Amino acid sequence: MNVVLAVKQYISKMIEDSGPGMKVLLMDKETTGIVSMVYTQSEILQKEVYLFERIDSANREVMKHLKAICFLRPTKENVDYLIQELRRPKYSIYFIYFSNVISKSDVKSLAEADEQEVVAEVQEFYGDYIAVNPHLFSLNILGCCQGRNWDPAQLSRTTQGLTALLLSLKKCPMIRYQLSSEAAKRLAECVKQVITKEYELFEFRRTEVPPLLLILDRCDDAITPLLNQWTYQAMVHELLGINNNRIDLSRVPGISKDLREVVLSAENDEFYANNMYLNFAEIGSNIKNLMEDFQKKKPKEQQKLESIADMKAFVENYPQFKKMSGTVSKHVTVVGELSRLVGERNLLEVSEVEQELACQNDHSSALQNVKRLLQNPKVTECDAARLVMLYALHYERHSSNSLPGLMMDLRNKGVSEKYRKLVSAVVEYGGKRVRGSDLFSPKDAVAITKQFLKGLKGIENVYTQHQPFLHETLDHLIKGKLKENLYPYLGPSTLRDRPQDIIVFVIGGATYEEALTVYNLNRTTPGVRIVLGGTTVHNTKSFLEEVLSSGLHSRSKESSQVTSRSASRR
Amino acid sequence: MASLDDPGEVREGFLCPLCLKDLQSFYQLQTHYEEEHSGEDHDVKGQIKSLVQKAKKAKNRLLKREGDDRAESGAQGYESFSYGGVDPYMWEPQELGAVRSHLSDFKKHRAARIDHYVVEVNKLIIRLEKLTAFDRTNAESAKIRAIEKSVVPWVNDQDVPFCPDCGNKFSIRNRRHHCRLCGSIMCKKCMELISLPLANKLTSASKDSLSSHTSPSQSPNSVHGSRRGSISSVSSVSSVLDEKDDDRIRCCTHCKGTLLKREQQIDEKEHIPDIVKLYEKLQLCMEKVDQKAPEYIRMAASLNAGETTYRLEHANDLRVEVQKVYELIDALSKKILTLGLNQDPPPHPNTLRLQRMIRYSATLFVQEKLLGLMSLPTQEQFEELKKRKEEMERKKMLEKQASLESQRRLEERRSDLPSRANGEVVYLRRGSAPLRKAEGWLPLSGGQGQSEDLDPLLQQIHNITSFIKQAKAAGRTDEVRTLQENLRQLQDEYDQQQTEKAIELSRKQAEEEDLQREQLQMLCEREWEREREQFQAASLHTRTRSLDFREIRPFQLEPSTEPCTHLAHALDLGSSPVQSSATPKTPSPSSALEPVRVWSGPPALGQEFLPPSTMSQQREVPSLNPFEEEDSASPTAEGSTSPRAAEPSCGPPSRILKEYNPFEEEEEEVAVAGNPFTNSNSPAPNPFSEEDERPVPGNPFEEATCTNPFEVDSDSGPEGEEPIEEELLLQQIDNIKAYIFDAKQCGRLDEVEVLTENLRELKRTLAKQKGGSDWPLGRELTSQDKWPPQNLERDDYIENETFQEEGALKRIGTCSHPQPRLKAPTAQDYKFQATLRHPRWLPGGISCESAREVETARRSCGGRSAGGGVCCSGHSSPLASRLDQRSHAHERPLPDSPHPAVPGPGGRGVQGHGEGHDGELQHAREAGRRRQEICVFQHTSNPIQKPLGADHDV
Repeated sequence: MNVVLAVKQYISKMIEDSGPGMKVLLMDKETTGIVSMVYTQSEILQKEVYLFERIDSANREVMKHLKAICFLRPTKENVDYLIQELRRPKYSIYFIYFSNVISKSDVKSLAEADEQEVVAEVQEFYGDYIAVNPHLFSLNILGCCQGRNWDPAQLSRTTQGLTALLLSLKKCPMIRYQLSSEAAKRLAECVKQVITKEYELFEFRRTEVPPLLLILDRCDDAITPLLNQWTYQAMVHELLGINNNRIDLSRVPGISKDLREVVLSAENDEFYANNMYLNFAEIGSNIKNLMEDFQKKKPKEQQKLESIADMKAFVENYPQFKKMSGTVSKHVTVVGELSRLVGERNLLEVSEVEQELACQNDHSSALQNVKRLLQNPKVTECDAARLVMLYALHYERHSSNSLPGLMMDLRNKGVSEKYRKLVSAVVEYGGKRVRGSDLFSPKDAVAITKQFLKGLKGIENVYTQHQPFLHETLDHLIKGKLKENLYPYLGPSTLRDRPQDIIVFVIGGATYEEALTVYNLNRTTPGVRIVLGGTTVHNTKSFLEEVLSSGLHSRSKESSQVTSRSASRR
Repeated sequence: MASLDDPGEVREGFLCPLCLKDLQSFYQLQTHYEEEHSGEDHDVKGQIKSLVQKAKKAKNRLLKREGDDRAESGAQGYESFSYGGVDPYMWEPQELGAVRSHLSDFKKHRAARIDHYVVEVNKLIIRLEKLTAFDRTNAESAKIRAIEKSVVPWVNDQDVPFCPDCGNKFSIRNRRHHCRLCGSIMCKKCMELISLPLANKLTSASKDSLSSHTSPSQSPNSVHGSRRGSISSVSSVSSVLDEKDDDRIRCCTHCKGTLLKREQQIDEKEHIPDIVKLYEKLQLCMEKVDQKAPEYIRMAASLNAGETTYRLEHANDLRVEVQKVYELIDALSKKILTLGLNQDPPPHPNTLRLQRMIRYSATLFVQEKLLGLMSLPTQEQFEELKKRKEEMERKKMLEKQASLESQRRLEERRSDLPSRANGEVVYLRRGSAPLRKAEGWLPLSGGQGQSEDLDPLLQQIHNITSFIKQAKAAGRTDEVRTLQENLRQLQDEYDQQQTEKAIELSRKQAEEEDLQREQLQMLCEREWEREREQFQAASLHTRTRSLDFREIRPFQLEPSTEPCTHLAHALDLGSSPVQSSATPKTPSPSSALEPVRVWSGPPALGQEFLPPSTMSQQREVPSLNPFEEEDSASPTAEGSTSPRAAEPSCGPPSRILKEYNPFEEEEEEVAVAGNPFTNSNSPAPNPFSEEDERPVPGNPFEEATCTNPFEVDSDSGPEGEEPIEEELLLQQIDNIKAYIFDAKQCGRLDEVEVLTENLRELKRTLAKQKGGSDWPLGRELTSQDKWPPQNLERDDYIENETFQEEGALKRIGTCSHPQPRLKAPTAQDYKFQATLRHPRWLPGGISCESAREVETARRSCGGRSAGGGVCCSGHSSPLASRLDQRSHAHERPLPDSPHPAVPGPGGRGVQGHGEGHDGELQHAREAGRRRQEICVFQHTSNPIQKPLGADHDV
């Protein structure tokens, strides 16, 4: 169930199979990202892969002393490029791996192009998704839906990605989907179709309890991606943006050249791996410890190595020291920038109100706080807009809803048209009428008790009160209490036992907060393994883009309401 | 309790001890317990039982799922929810995901296509073979045509009214041509020709027979063929007559294309680029490391644990071996990096990228593995563990050797650093790669054996010096600049180090006499510098003295006698009866040039003083070694000096003669004193090296330095026990050097700094130890040793220069050749040339260029010295230093055996004047012997280089 490992194993296998000798890895744009998520350059260099080329790059030299490993998505363009490549081979021998199912006709046309018999292998290796963490994958698709329906191209890509994931994990799942979302149903059907069509591929050793694929729609929880985050990974993504593990720091004031872009990968950054799910305060103290450690290890100018023991220790520690210095400077920079942004944007205060909006039901106090913050000049327009969005989502149907007043405040604050329009778009996207379940008020007695207990205990951390809706969904699922009328099975068979291996896919993108939730569920629930995926991994910015690209706001309000209602409630 | 029976299920969390129900929190557990079990009988027995079961469970867990465990240990941050599940990072390993192969399908389709293609090609080749099977040139064209027609049925002319390729109508002017390979028809314009060599190449199974016509020769052919076609098509009338293309076979474009493709395939199959060969070697090395390193680590671990499963020397051998392989890897990858850099059309960026990547990965490999090599236990530890002293002693020696060697290894590797960027390129360009890393030692040292003991810094310095020289020769000024920068740093470091050592020594020995003597010598030497120039210009006496090579004393004394006679006298008074012998000689009016030579060119001496029998050969060989060996082997005439001579020579002999030599200390001091000299002299020695193309002026120096008495002595020193710590130090030094290397490669200058600092520290400690234990007498080098002389010297130097320039012509004249052959660019060059010209010395004469080259090299490295005084000269002009030292060497003996030198060398010297060439050979031999002595000093010589260091005096 480890998706990172799954992809990595594929890549390793490819490299292994090609035997010794210098190799070049031929990839397309997407597979480059896929490979880069699981392998660092130095790691792959040790496997004698010295060059990385794009299949579509024209400026490739004939190097007959290299073996080529082609890892490509089976798209039309790639096949065409490959045909051209095989007609005039630039490398001595080709090992071709497609990241997904390729049609027989494509294989044939490739075979016919290979007049010089340079192809030694043609295989499908289903590493067709971005493996972010062992339990989190993404397809890096932004804007997967038009209105409430799939963009056809994205649907097929998503289907491919999801089936590839199933194949790479060797799971042939039962499928459940969110009834309120048409897109979820479509996707579920498409996946089922592929499973049926490629039944040979999906013949795995039967497990006692079949795995489960749960397909959700972002519409059901538009709150989570709108919140400021305080755990390391999520926070970095929210404030700086993580793109295939890379973080662009070039806008950080006074950044040094080699820190313009840093890589945060839990695979080879121990500090990050240990801290990615800790909250900001803990990170702060850990960074401090790290620094102190580093200072200790750092040979000081003044204090020379006094004794032989000192020297020995120094020498033995040197490699770690060196590695550490890189880690330290990276994380110190990142955390420093985070805390700068937090201060600059007054995020603590903003987040507190956000959490209140998301988790509590005190309308008047919430409204008051939002209004107060809207007057605060330090609050950015983005933050202001999303406070209003949260308010709009939560108190959409509240009797004394004062959204228009807040919108006026936004305008007065000088928030741009784009953001003000987005407020309504977000409501359109994830408003009450779209949601299949109640996001805000607790539904059953257990939940009420829980909340009550929580209230008694006092809130541990004001900034991390919010639990993504996904948590509840999964909790129910694990306990076998997830309602079939809301999340029906596709097909006749249903799961009798509690599920063990669960793959959750969120159309419209997951978030790192949800990833954390899943992580914690994995850790706390014995015998259950959950993998979370999404068309992408959102932060607020990308989520708003997603909303924007779905084009909901551009429709006339009435018609969209009608269509959406009919779609979701049919 | 049911869950307990199922061993597969292992649970954690807030479990109720009685019913094992999982409760989500402590509160819930508590409530649960109170509610559910309050009425139950919780007797002790039951509780114990549950405890036992829990223990069982825990055991199960440990055995079954290690992953869980780790998950927990790593999860300390999350008390709130750290029980129960599994961290996704710890999910148990999974098998490879699903795969599906299309290979068989692919092959099926390809086979269909390929069969067709292959049949086509084979058909063409078979026909081609038939067409070329007979002697085309001598056969009549009619007969040829008949044969051609028999190979393939020609298409009927009438069937083809238009050229199928270009569509032109055939006519009388536009005639039909048949493809000899497929029988089709085309016009002249569309016709292709296949040359016989190409045909041969294609038809012969093995390409060997074709070696004469390789692709380059063929491609012109084919080009020619097509061009011809186009030309002839222009004048189609002439083409009618052009029936006899005996050496070519006509064919259509299609057939030609197929054949050319085939040819390309053949070529590619045969061609193995350099990079592949190098890369294969690299891989072999890496494999070796992968094999050996674990073995070594096992050994080292075992040894460190005090076990006697492995023997320490084996481990050391292995370590050395592994390190050698690392070097090789480094060298190979560097070679790959620079492949083709100088080719005219620069290689494709991707090629360069590939090379860079290979280099990078090799570096990573070395870094990772090398830094992982743990050091071996010190002998002491080992001894303690084993309680066997004799054994330990023996092993210690071995270990010492090994560590020295390993140090050298590291040094070598380090020494490559500067060259990586610049040096290599230069070498490549030059075609001769004397300095290459693999062969890198060639330029530097006459003999590997000696280099083993070299002070690493010195080695480095020499390397750089040579690089600078080469870079200059190659006109890479920027590189030269960086190299010089490097050199400067190194020298600083070295100087500091040496000063440090000197201070140490000085603490221990403070005998006035010695000091005085040294001072005197210093003065003398300085004077001597000046004098030398003067001599060159005009003085006859010096030359006379110098004539006698046998007598080194005269040289030494010379300086004193000349301009600064007082100094000389002082010297004499202080220490040497030799002086007296020398002084008389000074007046002797024999050939003027010789003395100059002697001083300036110790390296030359090394070569040319060889015994007559070997001399001719030796001259060609740049290395001084043979000479040394001989010397050491042959019992020299001077009894007093010989033991000393043996010691210093860094080679094996020195080690063997480990007995503590009282002379050494003295020598050291002397050497120290000698340094200032080197400066002034340095220019002079260089020219000598020219003939041999001995790459670096510094090299000879290295030999000298290699005998670093500090190290050798300390190691071999009679005090067996103490050195253990030193070894550890040495190892640490090794390691740190490796780190420096590593850091430098990564361009982390700050780290480099820190590390160097540490290194320095370490070395200091080392020196301290050694100084303390082995050389209590080192005191001699106190403040006075360090001397204010720099100023003096500099002035002198300047004076000399001007002086020289004025007198240059004269000087040259004074050489046995009355007329200067070449105009030397500088006064110094003049000097060199003048000295070199002398027929006896350099039969071939010195090329002005080489002299200049040497000079430039010297300056480049010595440039810094201008401010600092003498320091650089030591590095750049080993010759000079040797000379100086030699002179000191003579001095030394004096106290011990007041008269030894006087009768021998002195007398000979006198004779020598008269003898001429034959005599000189003898002198040469003797001088060689002397040189050994000199070697002893050279390491020590440096401390004085930076007289400024006087502050350090204690």
